[in-house]
Amino acid sequence: MNIVVDAKNVKKVYGTKGNVFTALDHIDVKVYEGEFVGVMGPSGAGKSTLLNILATIDQPTSGDIYIDGTNIVNMNEEQLAAFRRDKLGFIFQDYNLLDTLTVKENIILPLALAKVSVNELEERVNKVAKTFGIHQILTKYPYQISGGQKQRTAAARAIITKPSLLLADEPTGALDSKSATDLLESLKDLSEADRATILLVTHDAFAASYCDRVIFIKDGKLFTELVKGKRTRKEFFQKVLDVLSALGGGLSDTI
Amino acid sequence: MTLFSLAKKNIIGNFKNYLLYFISMIFSVVIYYTFVSLQYSPEVQNAIESSDSILNIFIAGSAVLILFVSIFIFYSNSFFTKKRKKEVGLYSLLGLKKKTIGRMLFYENIFMGGIAVLIGIIVGTILSKLFTMMVLKLLDAPVEVSFGLSVEAIINTLIVFLIISLVTSFQAYRLIYRFKLIELFRAEKEGEKVPKQSFIAAIASIIFIGFSYWLGFEPPTENLQVLTNLVLFLISIVAGTYLLFRFLTVYILRRIQNRKSSYYKGTNLVGISQLIYRINGNARTLTIIALLSAVTVSAISVGYSFYYTNEKQAEKAAPFSYMHISASDSTDREIEDVIQSDTEHAVIGQIDIPVIIASGEVTSPILQDYLENGPIKIVSEHTYHEALEILGKECNIQLTDKQTLGIQPLLTEYTSDNYKGHTVTVQLPNKELDLTFHSMAEDRIIPWSYPDFTIVVSDQLFSEIAAHVNPVTIKAYEVADEKTTKDTASQLQSLASEEMHLTTYYDVYREGLESGGLNLFILGFLGLVFLAATGSIIYFKQITEAHEDRGRYEILRKIGVSRKEVNAIIRKQMIFVFGLPLIIGVVHGLVILQIASNIFSVLIGTDLTVPIVVTTLVYFIIYLGYYFLTLTTVKNTVNN
Repeated sequence: MNIVVDAKNVKKVYGTKGNVFTALDHIDVKVYEGEFVGVMGPSGAGKSTLLNILATIDQPTSGDIYIDGTNIVNMNEEQLAAFRRDKLGFIFQDYNLLDTLTVKENIILPLALAKVSVNELEERVNKVAKTFGIHQILTKYPYQISGGQKQRTAAARAIITKPSLLLADEPTGALDSKSATDLLESLKDLSEADRATILLVTHDAFAASYCDRVIFIKDGKLFTELVKGKRTRKEFFQKVLDVLSALGGGLSDTI
Repeated sequence: MTLFSLAKKNIIGNFKNYLLYFISMIFSVVIYYTFVSLQYSPEVQNAIESSDSILNIFIAGSAVLILFVSIFIFYSNSFFTKKRKKEVGLYSLLGLKKKTIGRMLFYENIFMGGIAVLIGIIVGTILSKLFTMMVLKLLDAPVEVSFGLSVEAIINTLIVFLIISLVTSFQAYRLIYRFKLIELFRAEKEGEKVPKQSFIAAIASIIFIGFSYWLGFEPPTENLQVLTNLVLFLISIVAGTYLLFRFLTVYILRRIQNRKSSYYKGTNLVGISQLIYRINGNARTLTIIALLSAVTVSAISVGYSFYYTNEKQAEKAAPFSYMHISASDSTDREIEDVIQSDTEHAVIGQIDIPVIIASGEVTSPILQDYLENGPIKIVSEHTYHEALEILGKECNIQLTDKQTLGIQPLLTEYTSDNYKGHTVTVQLPNKELDLTFHSMAEDRIIPWSYPDFTIVVSDQLFSEIAAHVNPVTIKAYEVADEKTTKDTASQLQSLASEEMHLTTYYDVYREGLESGGLNLFILGFLGLVFLAATGSIIYFKQITEAHEDRGRYEILRKIGVSRKEVNAIIRKQMIFVFGLPLIIGVVHGLVILQIASNIFSVLIGTDLTVPIVVTTLVYFIIYLGYYFLTLTTVKNTVNN
């Protein structure tokens, strides 16, 4: 199997001399093609820092990161922008939709930026809209739709470019349980049917239970790793809860 | 902590928010004070020989300024209070009484007003010296300006701004009473909704503007019509421009959106949709900017034209340096002696022009309309040629006994076509004389009096008519360097009696220069104020929007839009926001100029290309400066 993400010995230190804070301490992460990987940990463990570094929004202090075989550490701003556009897809907790664009325009934005032909663009938008069940609201504006619909729009935008890696930062954080389940089911489908590679940062055990594998971080270090294997989702959910209680913190979210 | 010290702390702590409002107030005080102190400065008063009309111009100018300054201050005040609604809501939530909050806002406003007036007067004092020098230069007077504070100007400024500050402070006081608490908190979230499009309104904007342009190019036939046309013009151009920015732009942008192949390419998607999204909030601002630009460009062009054409106009109105109707031999000789003794201005030529004054009619309706019952002035062909020779001009037309040559009346734009083939009937005591117009010549040779209807006839015919009607003799002198004949001109004025109708080139030239120079200055000053206001309005509006847009650009960057592309999106939107009102404004301005040239008779028949091009170019360059300033600031705001 191809390795999509290969982060080696990643270290991130904030602050200046005398007052340093190590957010990530020699972390190694590998994600294979078609894998749905969760990252969990208590608040302040370094989950978001890791995601931001993999998303090329933040730079590591030391270490190497290969995404799809390319080292992203020494790229300049231009190259990074192009890289983000071509290889990565993002889903954020607060949706990050442009309120000036319709749902459809929001979804096709990455393709328009990449100057894809109109025909292909229409074809692809229909396909992803069907995947996420949002084809009826394509002409609406973000302020006219619900939070769940917004998040599905954001997800549709993230995958329309067929990215090598889909990064999701607490995507269910602002959703009710029905919307959250719908979104997670869609992501699961995507990883199984289309072999999309997904990295999901969450502190919601329910969301994590949809993953194939969950990485736990504590105080910037790798704590442990859980593989779903042949377990049912319910069993896996229980396992995740067990690790979380051993880890301390974050438990309150799961009830 | 007293309420006043809280108000003071507010101002110092939130200085950035206050800065815009504060600067617009200072700006308003500076321009008003500068203008008023000019009016009171002794240098300007002295340089103006015909003080009455000048005073009127200044009074009219300051009235326009007061109107403008109050609108400008109210605009920035409402802009400023909108930003502070949340803060005011917070005070209320913390349990401060409405009355207390109101009083605090009132103090704040008064406090800022006071400081702004103080700074404004200091800056204005320095600026007024500069502007006084400019006026004197335009009036062609020696430039020596004393430095002094004008007490009258200070009092005048204080009164005006005290009233304005009191009104705005009262507005601020009322803020807390005007809105519910929930409304105060929601103020910043009052996002703009996507504008509705209306095809009918888009068409209406074209119809309104087309109608106003048509009015502008259709010369009015009656005096009463001038006024109704003007009112109709104003209404339709304002309505049309607003509808254009509010609906036509949306319509056109929507059409662009429908062309998927270009709309779905690169950053167009983001840029165009943002423009549409902003139209609701921007339409009024863009309308104001377009109209202000139109007024500025046309006003300065008119002012500049007066100044620019003065020399030519003076030469037309007073073709010779000195002219008078011959009186007794002794008076004539006295005058000649005065002229001859001025050795600095050597006599180039002297001529006696016999003029026959008769009544008559013309078959051309336009000319008859002009002439009405007025007298026709007749000069002989020989005299005409000789006079032109002295003036350094020539005319090669040879007339037969049945022909006549018309001379273009001053302040009209008649051409040879109005004359050719038509007949003039001259009434003599015992017979009528029918003459056919050969054509029309442009060069005048006798002083102006209304109606200015002069014809040239052959020498033989002239002496025939002279046998029936005694000609009047006009004595004309042409001297070198006639623009500087001040002393001789005034000496002659004291010698000549009323009936001699003494006309000197110097007086005509000087009068035109004074009113033209002052007109240019006042219009230019107002134009500069409008331009500064226009630029500031766009600038502040764009900066505010940039702050709101930061989140949007951050999203774009996260999904892989490079800095370069973000800058390109910003630039495209800026070009639209700056460019469209500029183009519309300049085109409107040209139409207004067309109307102005129908109203101001002096502008009839003069070529305004140079003043218009110069004015537009200068306006464009300063406007461009604002564009780059705004672009840089917005880019920095978004990218940090």
